[in-house]
Amino acid sequence: MDEFNDNEIAKLLRLKRYEQPRSGYFENFLHEFHRRQRDELLREPIWRICWERAHDFLFRLNVPSLTSYPAAVAAVLICAAVISLKIHQQPSAVNVAAENPPVISASLHPEGEWTLASPVATRVFTTQPLRQFHRSAQTHVSDSFRRTPPRYVLDSVPVSYESNFRF
Amino acid sequence: MNAVLALAPRRVSDLLSSGLQTRVKSSRDSMDKPRTDEDQPLVARAQAGDATAFDELVIKYSPRLYGLVYNMTSNHEDTNDLLQDIFAKAYKAIRGFRGKSTFYTWIHSIAVNMTLNFLKKRGRRYHLSLDDIDSSIQNDQEFLDVTQTSSPVREADLSELQKRLNEAMMKLSDDHRAVVTMFHIQGMPHAEISKILHVSEGTVRSRLFYANRQLQNYLEEFRKNPVS
Amino acid sequence: MTAILAALFAAGSISAQDQSAVSISREVRDVFERSAKAVVRIHGVDEHSDIYGTGFFVDPTGTLYTSYTVGGEADSFSIQFGGKEYPARQVVADVRSGIAILKSDLVTPTLPIGTSQGLEVATPVVTIGYPLDLGKTPSFGLIAGFDRKYLGRYFSTTHLRVNLPTQRGEAGAPLLNLKGEVVGILVSSLENNSSCYALPIDAAEKIRNDFVRFGEVRHGWIGANVAEAKNAEEGSRAQITEVLATTPATESGLRPGDILVQVGTVKVHEPEDVLDASFFITAGDVVPITVVRNGAKCTFKIQAELHPASKNIPMLSDGTQLPAEATLQKNRAIPLTLDADVPRTP
Repeated sequence: MDEFNDNEIAKLLRLKRYEQPRSGYFENFLHEFHRRQRDELLREPIWRICWERAHDFLFRLNVPSLTSYPAAVAAVLICAAVISLKIHQQPSAVNVAAENPPVISASLHPEGEWTLASPVATRVFTTQPLRQFHRSAQTHVSDSFRRTPPRYVLDSVPVSYESNFRF
Repeated sequence: MNAVLALAPRRVSDLLSSGLQTRVKSSRDSMDKPRTDEDQPLVARAQAGDATAFDELVIKYSPRLYGLVYNMTSNHEDTNDLLQDIFAKAYKAIRGFRGKSTFYTWIHSIAVNMTLNFLKKRGRRYHLSLDDIDSSIQNDQEFLDVTQTSSPVREADLSELQKRLNEAMMKLSDDHRAVVTMFHIQGMPHAEISKILHVSEGTVRSRLFYANRQLQNYLEEFRKNPVS
Repeated sequence: MTAILAALFAAGSISAQDQSAVSISREVRDVFERSAKAVVRIHGVDEHSDIYGTGFFVDPTGTLYTSYTVGGEADSFSIQFGGKEYPARQVVADVRSGIAILKSDLVTPTLPIGTSQGLEVATPVVTIGYPLDLGKTPSFGLIAGFDRKYLGRYFSTTHLRVNLPTQRGEAGAPLLNLKGEVVGILVSSLENNSSCYALPIDAAEKIRNDFVRFGEVRHGWIGANVAEAKNAEEGSRAQITEVLATTPATESGLRPGDILVQVGTVKVHEPEDVLDASFFITAGDVVPITVVRNGAKCTFKIQAELHPASKNIPMLSDGTQLPAEATLQKNRAIPLTLDADVPRTP
């Protein structure tokens, strides 16, 4: 065969399916996805988190009229009141979102739930790679773009561990 | 980069291991046919706020969407960023998903549109950053056919062939590359592609026809200037 | 009279203490002055952040040791040396040991490599690091212990626990004895920051030697799980509980139930000893493994292959690994020829 015909082109293109990212890529993808979500959540202003939670709550009540603007505003105000009570009682996750700098590990509920004193708090992420969860080196929230302030490294856990005795 | 040695959530690993086993194998069958929405239960849970349900959708669709985006961009790093952005967008938008199409179609639409926008912004400059070829290609019957019967391919180094093929793809227009990727590489039927791109099936077919001709021309140059 | 003698005696003792203090201070200062020039600040950049840590040169051509947390995962690196910034590239990044090796193309001073063998609890040690955004800083302390685990999780090999104050930015700093020889690399701190963990230099050198010999790190793997036996035999309570499939152990003769007494040169008395034994096996080595079975000792010579950690196959938390199809091998240029069969997967 001197020329590529349609069939050969199709075969060559199908072989592109074998181009795959390195081993471990997809496993890491989900971790990275969660990390970016946390980043974004920390950057989201508290009023917006509140608004979205309130909107979800009303949406779930399935009463169209309640998803209107005045109802949502009322819900936001109630939500904000509850949150400020919580802040007063226990500086926790909410403070992290409101101010810099956060320590991610300290702000997380052990199972990785992000609780915001709201009836419809959503679990944003579920899995925690060991290093990120226990990291003592602070991860600072960026106040403008995606670049975060510099991190001086000395983690408080090793990067890996052996899960059982084997050789 | 490197994964930690022990994955904490066993369930995620189980899901991934089944995904991994089929990931390359599926490239030999044309498996990417749309289904009646088998994702509906997961979608419903995700819409209700269950983040683990969304995680499962990420795990299920990331290999497929990776392939789609990578073959449109020929750049691993851009693909990685785009894929993260695609799922981030899907996560935010999922509550607004009304089930008018399958979730499969919906998320593929998001992926294709975001990739096309990215390519439009990037313009004609491209930078190949190619993934390695899985060694199981050597057991692929089509690979054996192509390498044993076609002389330009026969004498070439596999990585050179990969490079030329990717360069040829990048010479196509973004829209043509999108249909070629979806049809030939992802194995999607014309009907599904037309739903995703919001064009008629006729348009899909003619784009494919045109793109095939173009690729033949580009690869002819390869035949005339083989690597020594 | 007694009082005068007592006073004189007291005066003498204080002066002896002063002398020790002065002498230690002088030794530490000497070590610092001799060694500081080979210690650098490392700057790593990835798309989201800048990270800073410490590293040190171990040969005159700009090869640097640092911790994995500093040199393992960023996209690009530079080092601050002699008041200027130079690019560096990653050469080795090994999660299992927790270290990384970078290379800058410079003519550099070096730190002499010692050995972690002779270290004991209370051996005095010095580190030199770059805390936060401050300049090069020495710290002085003592070896506090040799730990295999921390907070219930096992290290890949015995780590040195050191009582000296450390700060963020000092990951990758060298741990030096008072002769100025490197005996460890700082990898993590304990939660209170007044103690830290260092990888013993012997473990780091295993990694570097692998790289020098093979161009890559080759953790060795036999393929047997070990747990505590009910009864000790020949001084060992380490029992093989499982011989894993498709590993060098599979057809080796090792059996579940065998009591492990020696792996290579490492004598085994308890299951934990297997961690160090395993760490120092290099893929390709033929490792003599001695077990006790039904009261009799037998030795099997088994050739180790690449440890799953080196292959980057994710492991489930119970120690099983994903199946072989999940291993993706790097593409090699495969020449395609007219009549020959397509070459088999290497």
